[in-house]
Amino acid sequence: MARILGRRLGKWVSLRTGIILAVIILLLWVSAAFALDQKQVFLPGETSEGHHIFEASCASCHEGFKPVSNETCTRCHQAELTDDVHGTKKFRDPRWAEYLERVDVLTCTACHNEHVHMFDRGVNLQPELCMACHEELTTTQLKSHEGFAADGCWTAGCHNYHDHRTISTGFLRQNIGEPDMLPVQVLPDRVVTTSLDKAPTPDLTQEFLGGGS
Amino acid sequence: MIIRQSIGSVLRSLMAIALVAVLVLGSGLTARATTQQELDEITAQWQTSAHGLNDVNCASCHQNKETKEFIETPNHESCQSCHEQSVDTFLLSKHGIRLLEEKSPLTPAMARLPMKHEAMDQQMNCNACHNVHSANTVEASVDACLTCHNDNHSLNYQNSKHAELFADSKELPRPGAGAVSCATCHLPREVDDRLETPIVYVNHNNTYNLKPQDRMVGDVCMNCHGIEYSYNSIFDPELVEANFDRSPTLELQTFDLMKAAEERRTGNTSN
Repeated sequence: MARILGRRLGKWVSLRTGIILAVIILLLWVSAAFALDQKQVFLPGETSEGHHIFEASCASCHEGFKPVSNETCTRCHQAELTDDVHGTKKFRDPRWAEYLERVDVLTCTACHNEHVHMFDRGVNLQPELCMACHEELTTTQLKSHEGFAADGCWTAGCHNYHDHRTISTGFLRQNIGEPDMLPVQVLPDRVVTTSLDKAPTPDLTQEFLGGGS
Repeated sequence: MIIRQSIGSVLRSLMAIALVAVLVLGSGLTARATTQQELDEITAQWQTSAHGLNDVNCASCHQNKETKEFIETPNHESCQSCHEQSVDTFLLSKHGIRLLEEKSPLTPAMARLPMKHEAMDQQMNCNACHNVHSANTVEASVDACLTCHNDNHSLNYQNSKHAELFADSKELPRPGAGAVSCATCHLPREVDDRLETPIVYVNHNNTYNLKPQDRMVGDVCMNCHGIEYSYNSIFDPELVEANFDRSPTLELQTFDLMKAAEERRTGNTSN
């Protein structure tokens, strides 16, 4: 009886020691990651093409354990969203409320996910995402699109979800049939004016030679 | 706990040693003065530059305005005081984002794209591409890129028609309006028409028009090329890799659909 008890106790002790050791190792691992600034170990998956160069800067996108907010994304990506055709301008209009219920397009993370497998546009999309709202179009007004792959909208290079200024049907219609080389080829020119005929006398010299100021 | 504490103290001592080493090395670097010859060369470059001829003197960048303290290596904030749009857009680019996030500058060693071995430690700040004393942006438009970038698209640029157009700008202080450099497409000149007198500035956010590619088509390609030529080129990965050394062979279906729609709309089937 005593032997059985002893064996059980032995088992329990070794289990307890094991758990304590595991916790200590885990704590050491976490503290070492912070101390050595190797926070990559906490990444739950592969970081996207654009974000990987600052992937260890967790606070760039995350505030504690709160979900990533739109403000976090627009801090850097505002320029890309200037003419967002699926933006607030459209979806704050109650006429589109029904569609907003299908996909919450006013929340970046409804479509974009980080640390998961990425398509080449740096976003994680359900391939048939567009179809949540646009499927009926392909069977009515846009019969020419019938039978196209559901992810073809954005993988075939035909549609740009946020910014369709240069790929909308109106823009294509306006420019189709243009020659390969346009008759007038102009790039914006940078004009740099000068205010002096001659540069002034350099105002620091000794400082550069190590003489101090 | 004892183990954790002792590891903590070992780490702390290691960090202290590293800090001392950095300080010693750092002070060694700041103590290294410019030679008279180097200073003469820099002064000569500056005297004929847009900086020199606009009364931007040494102290404009090399001296703290309030404390009058000498600054040996001014950073991007110094440039930003005049070149606001350039620096603001640079800080949103892949090249500058680490500075925005107050991390060490990006180096090619951190990149996923192929980079030149000898450039792996190059720090991405304004000086990485710009010689601020000559203010010559011809060098910043191609040579600076090829200091680090070693992928096929970059290396094939020199054999492209675009590079031929750039050749005429080689002796100028900045690329002419007919030149097509790396920067023409990746750091494009943009017109800021929100201002009373619209100005042309360089959008230093190189990732802005990269993906999806149609943004580059509208903002860059279509300054010179027709829409079909542009789309059929940029959506062909092989042609992109070859840096557009031939006319496109791709025929995007989107244009067929558009033509068919136009024919239906106008009832004209002649074209």
